[in-house]
Amino acid sequence: MADVGVTKMTKSHRKNDRSVSATLAAATCALLGTGASAPVDAQEEPKWDFNTSFLYYGEDENRVQDASLKSIIRRLFADDKSLSIGVTVDTLTGATPSGAIRQDVAQTFTRPSGNAAYSVPAGELPLDDTFKDTRVALTANWTQPAGEKGLLSVGMSASKEYDYLHTGLNANYAHDFNNRNTTLSAGIAVARDSIEPVGGAPTPFTPMLDVGDVSNRNGDQDKDVLDVIFGVSQVISRDLVMQVNYSYSMSDGYLNNPYKVLSLVDGVTGDTLPRTTPLPPDGGPSGQFLFEGRPDERTQHSLYTQAKYNMNGKVLDVSYRYMTDDWEIDSHTMDVRYRWPIGAGSYLEPHLRFYTQSEAEFYRLSLDSSQPLPQFASSDYRLGNFDAITAGLKYGWKTRNGNDMSLRVEWYTQSGTVPAGQLIGNQAGRDNYPDLNALIVQFSYRFSQ
Amino acid sequence: MSGPAGRECQIVATEHGWAGRFRAMGSPCEVLLESGTRNQAASITSAVAAEAWRIEDKFSRYLKGNIVDQINTANGASVKVDDETANLLDFAATLYKLSDGRFDITSGVLREVWTFDGGDHIPDPSSVEAVLSRVGWSRVQWARPVLTLEPGMEIDFGGIGKEYAVDLCVAHIRDSQSGPGLVNFGGDLAISGPPMRRRAWKVAVEGTLPDAADHLIDLRQGALATSGDARRFLCRDGVRYSHILDPGTGWPVPDAPASVTVAADTCTQAGMTSTLAMLEGLGAEKFLAQQDMLHWCRR
Repeated sequence: MADVGVTKMTKSHRKNDRSVSATLAAATCALLGTGASAPVDAQEEPKWDFNTSFLYYGEDENRVQDASLKSIIRRLFADDKSLSIGVTVDTLTGATPSGAIRQDVAQTFTRPSGNAAYSVPAGELPLDDTFKDTRVALTANWTQPAGEKGLLSVGMSASKEYDYLHTGLNANYAHDFNNRNTTLSAGIAVARDSIEPVGGAPTPFTPMLDVGDVSNRNGDQDKDVLDVIFGVSQVISRDLVMQVNYSYSMSDGYLNNPYKVLSLVDGVTGDTLPRTTPLPPDGGPSGQFLFEGRPDERTQHSLYTQAKYNMNGKVLDVSYRYMTDDWEIDSHTMDVRYRWPIGAGSYLEPHLRFYTQSEAEFYRLSLDSSQPLPQFASSDYRLGNFDAITAGLKYGWKTRNGNDMSLRVEWYTQSGTVPAGQLIGNQAGRDNYPDLNALIVQFSYRFSQ
Repeated sequence: MSGPAGRECQIVATEHGWAGRFRAMGSPCEVLLESGTRNQAASITSAVAAEAWRIEDKFSRYLKGNIVDQINTANGASVKVDDETANLLDFAATLYKLSDGRFDITSGVLREVWTFDGGDHIPDPSSVEAVLSRVGWSRVQWARPVLTLEPGMEIDFGGIGKEYAVDLCVAHIRDSQSGPGLVNFGGDLAISGPPMRRRAWKVAVEGTLPDAADHLIDLRQGALATSGDARRFLCRDGVRYSHILDPGTGWPVPDAPASVTVAADTCTQAGMTSTLAMLEGLGAEKFLAQQDMLHWCRR
């Protein structure tokens, strides 16, 4: 019996099963008469995707604190269809500026509920500290291909907090062109929100009343919002993708902040006019404060452009947004992120954001009692002229079982100025715009199966 | 297209391009192409089909006069084989060694006593023993290019042929420069490269539980092959006999999975890995885990 080529049955056990695949690969090359084949690239599409994050947002000086827990569960089906359900629970506490100006004397105010009064020491910014709320938000989205190159998504949203109810519907369609290098998209969202202020919505420009007097309250209000967005994203090269979006937003209805007031001031000194009647036993405002009044329509246009540039795995993401509206607020946002891989599955991502906006045409620090009342007025600092900077760092890593985790820490600082022409008498020497500093910490965890 | 009875190709337009269909090796076969005209798709499909039919004609154990028939009817005489057959025999010899004798191309004769039709006919042990005396690659004399079988022994490339054909056909599509394509012979499949207009080829693999939904696989490179068949088994006295026979005992491998699907660089590697896993019986999952390959094992 010839020995050459005869295979004898060996009883010796394979030392290590890793050698099975190596031997098999070599034998296959010999059989097929080819070199080594390109390595397999196969991936099972996950069926479930869970994305959970915890966010803490805290303003300094005991202003707003928000703890938010958000979960998005996505179920993937065959043929690229998916259903995504999101749940967010927020707990808000803290104090917000009431809109009244600082005074050299202590001030008292009636709480928004009308049930009690609170006082603010001399020289301090009036803050309403009854701000406390829990918000629950739900979203649901269905996404599916439409034809070979289209992707259609429809969804609904709802959120409820103590004094606010939001319900909305949305739809988006994206279409690929040019070998999928170009994507055009169009989206529409409609919302109906109901504002249910504590104690009822006050009539604009009526005074803050004494404790127990709710005669200027009007119950619940609502507003409708329509958003339309058109976008184009373009693959410029293997490493560069750009996107441009135009969006239009129209709000119609009750757009006031029902808790914000303006101080009615002396036309010469700029100090808040004192109340004209004796303070009742249950308390009330020490001066004259009028509830704000905004237009009942707002139309915004915004243009957003973004470039993502991949430099050997490091990704630079730069975006700019210009927004303008018929309240005459113009804003510019510049956002820069840089994702820097620092090992298998982990990365650092520094983030810088600059924001600047001009004040609304009806923004007023206070109301001059020597002049007729304007048609609209608000001293909400968010409608004022301000700049903001966000600076932060995110660290992301993969866990041992392949899930993604990330921790983001950011600082936000906002500082504004009241136009000099609005300052009357003593107001010129005071710090009128409530600057803001906040810390943002977010932890995210994502896993698929 | 025309040819011997049943040897026809059909071209249909699909959502992502063209599908060319024909039958070979007892299975429905499919060529999926992303680009080109109907005529180009037809010409690639006919070339792929011609290659599949060539391999079928050359290596089918059911056809008279081919090399396998010459070997199986040599009655103890030596047969000198061509290079391609020699390559397959070398490959079979390696697999035999790699599997400690559990992968054996001489075990086909066991089908004379085992018929896996979902019924309950279990052969009596003495007849299994009788057939087993004609099984064993260790008793074969293989000195390339000469093969000598003992009288009564047979070889069968059925466990290799389909995967081998898929790999050769994919190589043909790659060489034709006609754009990426997928070759699927009865569930054993390979791709020539990632698709151009989509992220990946999408392949559905049966769920691992009886009523589980299919797993959807994104394939950008490589191949998938499945061993085992949920419909090919025997059942008697509550015992389910898989159609994977152990050439050492002549009896079905106990506790073999219902089927195993493996993703690998080539269809041949995927098919052999899934077959070796089936032969491990209860140890299939452990074996697969050690191979560090994407796999699905159904019990």
